[in-house]
Amino acid sequence: MRRAVVTGTATVAGIVLLLSLKPHDGPGNSTVAKVISSGTSPSAAASAPSSPSTATGSGSSPAAAPSPSASAASRVVTGNAIDTRYGPVQVRVTLDSGKITKVDVLQYPAESHRDREINTYALPELNQEALAAQNARIDAVSGATYTSDGYTRSLQSALDQAGLT
Amino acid sequence: MISLIRRSLPSVALAAIGVGAAGVLALWWRDTPAIRGAAGWLTGAGQITGLLAGYAAPVLLLLMARIPLLERELGADRLARWHARGGRWMVGLVLAHLLTITWGYALTDGRGLLAEGVRLVFDYPEMLKATLGTLLLLGVGAVSAAAARRRLSYELWYYLHLATYLAVALAFGHQLANGAQLGDGPGRALWYLLYLGTAALLGWYRLLVPFRHDRRHRLRVAEIRPEGPGVVSVFLTGRRLDELHAEAGQFFRLQFQTPGLRWAANPYSLSAPPHPDFLRFTVKSLGSHSAALARLPLGTRVLAEGPYGAFTARRLTTDRTTPGLPARTAAAPARVPAMAGAGLPGSGPYAPLPVRGRRRGGPPVLLLGAGVGITPLRALFETLPGEVTLVQRARRPEDVLFRAELAAVATARGARVHELLGSRAEVGDLGRALARLVPGLARHEVFLCGPDALTAEAVRSLRAAGVRRIHHESFSF
Repeated sequence: MRRAVVTGTATVAGIVLLLSLKPHDGPGNSTVAKVISSGTSPSAAASAPSSPSTATGSGSSPAAAPSPSASAASRVVTGNAIDTRYGPVQVRVTLDSGKITKVDVLQYPAESHRDREINTYALPELNQEALAAQNARIDAVSGATYTSDGYTRSLQSALDQAGLT
Repeated sequence: MISLIRRSLPSVALAAIGVGAAGVLALWWRDTPAIRGAAGWLTGAGQITGLLAGYAAPVLLLLMARIPLLERELGADRLARWHARGGRWMVGLVLAHLLTITWGYALTDGRGLLAEGVRLVFDYPEMLKATLGTLLLLGVGAVSAAAARRRLSYELWYYLHLATYLAVALAFGHQLANGAQLGDGPGRALWYLLYLGTAALLGWYRLLVPFRHDRRHRLRVAEIRPEGPGVVSVFLTGRRLDELHAEAGQFFRLQFQTPGLRWAANPYSLSAPPHPDFLRFTVKSLGSHSAALARLPLGTRVLAEGPYGAFTARRLTTDRTTPGLPARTAAAPARVPAMAGAGLPGSGPYAPLPVRGRRRGGPPVLLLGAGVGITPLRALFETLPGEVTLVQRARRPEDVLFRAELAAVATARGARVHELLGSRAEVGDLGRALARLVPGLARHEVFLCGPDALTAEAVRSLRAAGVRRIHHESFSF
């Protein structure tokens, strides 16, 4: 019993030590530096990218107050953050009369050099595919399977919230 | 010098395991640039515990893979001890892993723990299998926990342990599919090497070697002989037994091929030095398995793994030994005259053989045994070179095993044999009792075998009495 306590304590201490030796970013700037966007943004939706902690949640239509005369009923919906093995992926979709006009990737794995390499080509391609398909049933980008998976799932959750399927 | 290397081998083996673990941590370190917030801490802890558990599983199986080098140099009892301790540690890691990962992911996604758990199990690749494997592993862990263990027969415990192979195999996929450190590069290569290598070694030493062994030696039960209350000797005959290169003090894992006993490979010590025509094992009915042995039909086929164990003459302090002795076993053919005509000795104790070779100036040896722990000592008593004394500890006179045989061996080789009888209270301090029986106790090199309680008490009191070299083998599993 005593041995178990000692071993357990040593293991916990070792793990905490390892974790504490790593650099730490505050949760405030936990998003990546740059939002990767594709598509045309109606001025109504061109609000500054907010941090994901506030952006998460149900879709809202902050700027474009629905006026009967407005030809474009623009909505911005933020999808769920989807954890992948390399980190979370989260997208925000701008919808114009039920049409996807723009996709912003708010969170994506960008920790390692390889992540950044993948994302520079994978995310724009995924955005293009989403705009072309107008739904979340898009092909994964080869070499970025996990990011693609997180992307489509986050996108689907956003479309679900918007009542589109 | 060689004995120094031998003695430091356990530390070397432990260090090697530790280096492997450090390598696994290095994988995590390399792939983790930063920790972000509480979710980052939890996910990081989940990754570390998961990696360590994934590393521990094959290492624990390797300890049990019956690799001859490990069995010989570290001893099966030490390997079993490490395996048991490591197993408990690993179950703890698995629990910590699933809690921290689920919690960490839940924080990132802004979900409840339960919802996140469901999502992890059903949405992530390979996770259904891993969940099944984990439940299996935790189940086995729970029933083999120390408290429950005592109420379990060796057989049931053994079968349960076979389920852990399945658990480890089921959990392998999710490590590669979801482990960020194992997706590619050195981590993936290392994991494949570790798991496939372990599988290959297990297949080789636990399936193929016993199979070939059986084909070659064709062991059969030749005789069952009662030795005392609840104690029987099992004589096995077979072909080319001398090629087994067994030594006094070693044990085999035997699988008797009858219904009910077929799959359990129980460890049994040789209770007589190996003979070219037969092997003798002596068994006390502890579990249902050993009780069933008394009723074994003659001619029953026996699968034997072994010989195993480092509790042999090679443990003797070799630096003061006549060169060449006591290397391996004293050549078996020299024993042939001891046979009573047929393959098996007659009904009495069979005639012991003159001891071959004398250790010059080596320390005298004390063999101390209790219960069925006397079996390897009985074999060693006949073959260890030099000045040997055997003390058998028993509660009642009728519990003493091999009384006539031991007396015959003692007479033949001019050794001494004693019985230390009575309850613990009656015997009093074991060290003092031994000192009365064995003059110059502190100078002796001691071979100790018996139940755990006795072993622990004996080691303490012998050390207190000034004994420096104690070799012991534990029979618990």
